[in-house]
Amino acid sequence: MRDLAERALDAAVAAGAEYVECRVVDRSVQHLVVKNGVVAAIESSDDEGIGVRVIADGAWGFAATSGLDGESIDDAARLAVRIARASARVQTEPVRLSPLEPAIGNYRTPVLKDPFAVSLEDKLDLLLRTDAALARVPEVRVRECSLEFDREHRFFATSDGARIEQTIVESGGGLDATATSDDDVQTRSYPNSFGRHQLCAGWEAIESFDLAGNAERIAAEAAALLTADRCPEGVMTVILDGTQAAMQVHESCGHPTELDRVLGTEAAFAGTSFLTPDLLGNFRYGSEFVTMTADSTRENGLGTFGWDDEGVPARRTVLVDRGIFTGYMTSRETAAALGQESNGTMRADGWSRIPLIRMTNVSLEPGDSSLEEMIAGTERGVLLETNRSWSIDDRRLNFQFGTQNGWEIVDGERRRLVRNALYAGRTPEFWGSCDAVAGPGEWAMWGVVNCGKGQPLQSMHVGHGAAPCRFRNVNVRPAL
Amino acid sequence: MTAATVVDVATVALDRAPEGDAEALVIANDEQLTRFASNRIHQNVAERGLRLHARIVSADRMGVAEAAGSDPEQLAQTVMGAAENARRVSPATEVPPLPEPDGGLDGPVAFNAATAETTPEMRADMVGEIVSRAAAHGLRAYGFVSTASRETAIANTRGVRRRAVSTQASSVVVVMGDAGSGYASRHTSDIGRLDVAAMADEAVDTCLRNQNAEPLEPGTYEVILSPYAVVDMLEHLGWVGLSALAVQEHRSFMKIGERLMSEEVTIRDDCLDAALFPYPFDYEGVSTQPLDIIRDGVCKAVLYDTPTALRDGVRSTGHSLAQPNTWGPWAGHLVMLPGMDTLPAMIGQVKRGLYVTRFWYVRDVDPLRTIITGMTREGTFLIEDGALSRPVADLRFTQSIVDALADVRGISRERRVELGEGESGVLAPWVHLGGFTFTS
Repeated sequence: MRDLAERALDAAVAAGAEYVECRVVDRSVQHLVVKNGVVAAIESSDDEGIGVRVIADGAWGFAATSGLDGESIDDAARLAVRIARASARVQTEPVRLSPLEPAIGNYRTPVLKDPFAVSLEDKLDLLLRTDAALARVPEVRVRECSLEFDREHRFFATSDGARIEQTIVESGGGLDATATSDDDVQTRSYPNSFGRHQLCAGWEAIESFDLAGNAERIAAEAAALLTADRCPEGVMTVILDGTQAAMQVHESCGHPTELDRVLGTEAAFAGTSFLTPDLLGNFRYGSEFVTMTADSTRENGLGTFGWDDEGVPARRTVLVDRGIFTGYMTSRETAAALGQESNGTMRADGWSRIPLIRMTNVSLEPGDSSLEEMIAGTERGVLLETNRSWSIDDRRLNFQFGTQNGWEIVDGERRRLVRNALYAGRTPEFWGSCDAVAGPGEWAMWGVVNCGKGQPLQSMHVGHGAAPCRFRNVNVRPAL
Repeated sequence: MTAATVVDVATVALDRAPEGDAEALVIANDEQLTRFASNRIHQNVAERGLRLHARIVSADRMGVAEAAGSDPEQLAQTVMGAAENARRVSPATEVPPLPEPDGGLDGPVAFNAATAETTPEMRADMVGEIVSRAAAHGLRAYGFVSTASRETAIANTRGVRRRAVSTQASSVVVVMGDAGSGYASRHTSDIGRLDVAAMADEAVDTCLRNQNAEPLEPGTYEVILSPYAVVDMLEHLGWVGLSALAVQEHRSFMKIGERLMSEEVTIRDDCLDAALFPYPFDYEGVSTQPLDIIRDGVCKAVLYDTPTALRDGVRSTGHSLAQPNTWGPWAGHLVMLPGMDTLPAMIGQVKRGLYVTRFWYVRDVDPLRTIITGMTREGTFLIEDGALSRPVADLRFTQSIVDALADVRGISRERRVELGEGESGVLAPWVHLGGFTFTS
């Protein structure tokens, strides 16, 4: 990898680049699916290539190729420079980057059991046992369980001397149980929705999920939802479980604190942000119970690494401090626009994409309450579990989420299962109504594996630490 | 990438297959995208890639492997990985065979040589045209201009041999003022027909009219949806209910033979429609059939791939993604047939309602009932007494698509191609609906 990177650097500099970054990336993925008792997919992929990003004539250019022969690499480097010069035709001022000491180093995800060393037979055995447990509930017509293991080996080099080698290992798994009746379809997922839960970790993460041990319970919950009452409607207290809290953090804190959105570079697609720079340090984003961080050093998070894809070291940034908006996730270019240094959140989806500001591990820090305490302190409300639908406007203010499961709470007790719950609100008012967050014992790191951003589209794996949390005076209603 | 490379990789991969039936799906792509924000180019990228997806089907077992690279010999080794994966799977009750050749032609295909040869300088100059038209009004432009060519070869040991080269040129622009924005897009296979000037003017016009929008009380309103918004509805219908897999799993709204929508509504999947991006076969190499899915409001057909067709004892309609997958058949060429109306005439029929330029962040709330939620964006206008009266602040809607299309009061003659969130082209008209529910 080092030789390929050095060749690309030399070719781009020879073509006239003022600054060059290149990333050689080799990503291996194993994906296994068992659906309705049948091994539906056993797939392995190996995706290797090189991406070259340059500044020439004060403007950006990028070219990537899966061809790793010398000629292809030279072509990509020269094309990147040509593209940068074309960019300069529609440029208002030269690109400025915040200062950075070039790094030399290695990072590897700490792994107890290499997931690629675990036999295929053991993996399929786990999925088939999980499927058999799901099958014990006859109302469940569609059963799907999956495992995925990712290993990404990256070599990053810049024309000013950075040389960084990293190996990131991820392990994920999950199950979906879909129950059907003549007039309804209900799905329950475990440990999280959207197919699976994933962590930067080895096979030990899969063992900790205990998919087979939880399958029958989840299937029974899906079946029970078919005959559950509709979610009550009105303004009431909402308690989110950790997985839904993670989704709420992702959409309403993670995205609006990406500084590229704030500065307009995603305006035509992902949108902008209500958290404009004049609000930094003085805007009340949430209640005093709300502290949120972006931390790429956090154990097991999908946003954990040694350096970002601009070579900036991993670090922790406080985004919201006891309710006050205090920080952005930044890149070298966007940080320079605010007179800051990058806090290291530039991440690229493989060799063929440029780095963008992406969430690392954006977390709601634990409080000192507990789920049971929160329920006991609720006169009328709902406990909502596991995301079913999610939507938020392009400035990240107006949101509506639905969950798979709901429990009505009356006079401090869980009363009945309810289905098709939706809750809606506006971001600062919602987080401003937070009056409790569970403590470290109920806090967990969750993974989102489908965060889309950028054009061409990039899909990123990001982490979110969260615990159950409570909100007062929220609009709740059933989907139908 | 030469044509020979793609076919060579497929051929060599099949030659290397050690056992059973083998399939090689090879895609070579050359894609370039120039992105701009605040009237300057800020991201400008190119990707050249060659990928092989190899599948082995052998004695009730199936294995798959994928790789990217440049050397045909090296890439072809991927088929050995697929065979190894197949060997290690326990026999399954349902492993569909690979398709046989069906005699279909490798055309028509959306291809234009000039698109494939577009340079970074040409794209930058197109951006310059867009930016200058926005700047002339003191506005800021954001968006992209992209060109792409893609060559696909699919071959299997049962004799399937398909190959196609396609191109696409796309541009999207959001124009912003101090108190509002406008949107427009264009998509075509022919760069010579990518009229970025007209697109920029459309977005500028919407932006100028969409300044200082005032809130409107949520509720159910008569609406006219532009094609940019209709596309989201059609695409979500496709995702939740138009495939045979959704029907087989009892999660589709489709009831064959029943009228669920207004008589004015006909929705097709048409891989031959010249206004879209014609493409003759699917990712199994099966010829894609143009289908009426909803005709005159009546459910007529769903889409099949080989696995779902086997289950129902019918032939695939040629709507497969790369196999195996858990998504099921895919509607890649959704078309809503035009009506007889003009947009001014449609607006003229509305006493009080809303005109919606675009939806945003549309998600399925209840797939069986086709309930979606999302926001309006970049140009929502109140219609009063048959005319657009003022811009209104973006609203959230929560609405069943099927219910909305059951009360159609007009469909335009003119249609537009828009890329949905799934990035496939959809051809849609302006649609006048009797009721659409905005919830916040």
